[in-house]
Amino acid sequence: MTISEIGAALRSKRISARELAEETLRRVAEANPRLNAFLTVTEAAARTRAAVLDDELARGIDRGPLHGIPIAHKDNMFTRGVRTTSGSKIFADFVPDHDAATVSQLNDAGANVIGKTGLHEFAFGITSNNPHFGAIRNPWDPERIPGGSSGGSAAAVAAGLVPLATGTDTGGSIRIPASFCGVVGLKPTYERVSRKGIMPLGLTFDHAGLLARTVRDVALGFNLVAKHSSGYVPAAHADHHGMSLGGMRIGVPENFFVERIAPEVMLSFRAAVQTAAALGAHVTEIRLPDAEALNVVGRLAQLAEVSSLLARYLDRRAEIGPDVLVLLEQGRLIPATDYLNAQRVRTVLARAFSKIWKNLDCLMTPATPITAPRIGEMTIAFGSSTEDVRTTATRLVRPFNVLGWPALALPCGFSNAGLPIGLQVVGPPQQEDTLLQAGAALEDAFGLAGRQPPMFDH
Amino acid sequence: MTDWKALAAAADPPVPEDLLPDVIPALEKLEAAFRPLEQALPPDTLLWNGPEGSDSEGDA
Repeated sequence: MTISEIGAALRSKRISARELAEETLRRVAEANPRLNAFLTVTEAAARTRAAVLDDELARGIDRGPLHGIPIAHKDNMFTRGVRTTSGSKIFADFVPDHDAATVSQLNDAGANVIGKTGLHEFAFGITSNNPHFGAIRNPWDPERIPGGSSGGSAAAVAAGLVPLATGTDTGGSIRIPASFCGVVGLKPTYERVSRKGIMPLGLTFDHAGLLARTVRDVALGFNLVAKHSSGYVPAAHADHHGMSLGGMRIGVPENFFVERIAPEVMLSFRAAVQTAAALGAHVTEIRLPDAEALNVVGRLAQLAEVSSLLARYLDRRAEIGPDVLVLLEQGRLIPATDYLNAQRVRTVLARAFSKIWKNLDCLMTPATPITAPRIGEMTIAFGSSTEDVRTTATRLVRPFNVLGWPALALPCGFSNAGLPIGLQVVGPPQQEDTLLQAGAALEDAFGLAGRQPPMFDH
Repeated sequence: MTDWKALAAAADPPVPEDLLPDVIPALEKLEAAFRPLEQALPPDTLLWNGPEGSDSEGDA
């Protein structure tokens, strides 16, 4: 069910917030041994909170669309009185004394927090194969990764445990798991959503955002946490018999974003582009500036930024996983001059890329070049060459962390093996509403929203 | 190009020997891609400060 449908059931008294919380807790207890999506389930707090929210509704106090809705927070979001591990053994017992701004905003909106979701250690990786808390599993195939770093949030949403979860995205950490798990993920414009109270990773690359089953559910959440929100939510599907993209100018890259893509992903992507055109969009092929350069400066600057924060823990190296350890060692060797010049190159590239918006409203690209890899798979083959899994997964999404542009990932198809395939829609700064409009129209046309993994089809 | 092995040895604490095969080649590859971009920088280029129209409050 969507947030709107659950909300309607609550308001018509077909279900109470208490019953909803109990049902959610039951499903989480049943699913978590198979998925490992939740690191902490705040069972008692969720029950208490549900009673308060029921009481409020009975007294005519309605906090809005999230009133009584069960949600989950990625475990790098500070939650007052609830441990916040960041997926790290070093922070395994860290209990913040305050909430992240996003957590407070969603609390104020009436959401009921069910628990904290697992992630790649320190949110610094894309597998969510956590050496301290165990591998998080993909609901579509538990032998595969959910992607990361927001793997627990994506798995929880995909399995239908919660309709909305928070995430963070430093080099694709919302959109990669959204793509691999077949859910919707929004990485808003840089600093459109506050990062206060979120464990930092890449100081100039971190973005806070949301994952949900549908574009409209993401829009509902985004409106509550965004600075200067317009309140825009695409009209419900039933109300408009399919939205139009008439007049929207959509760019489709002819370079980089369509290179080294798995054939099934490319087929779905091309079909998505045709759907956009059929909905009335003016689709134009466009040659983009050097996107690989964005990845180079992004990787270099992020390595230095992360090590500036975390290298202090290298005296506890036995408590850090091997992949993160290597990255921290790399980062602390990068000279300050290289870091600063990477940030200057970023300025030059941003200037070059921003020119594309003169003639376009948004871009469409595949979200990831591949579907979810198997747990432990380290390299991906493209023809006769191979590529590291992390590089492959981040290749199409990291550029928009470097530019700070908003980007939405949504499912656009399934592989022959039944794995989700993700589409990415990217817009100019602050134009999330355009992405939500385009995303909702495409989602309606694809007809995939709410499709459940067979083992979690309630 | 940078002598990453020397930097690794001079770091405090030094990068453990057993990690060098994972640390050094990746940095060499990154540097090889980065230097041409750095060398092409116009001299008056400033640091990136958020996307156009952003509302940066440095609130990380």
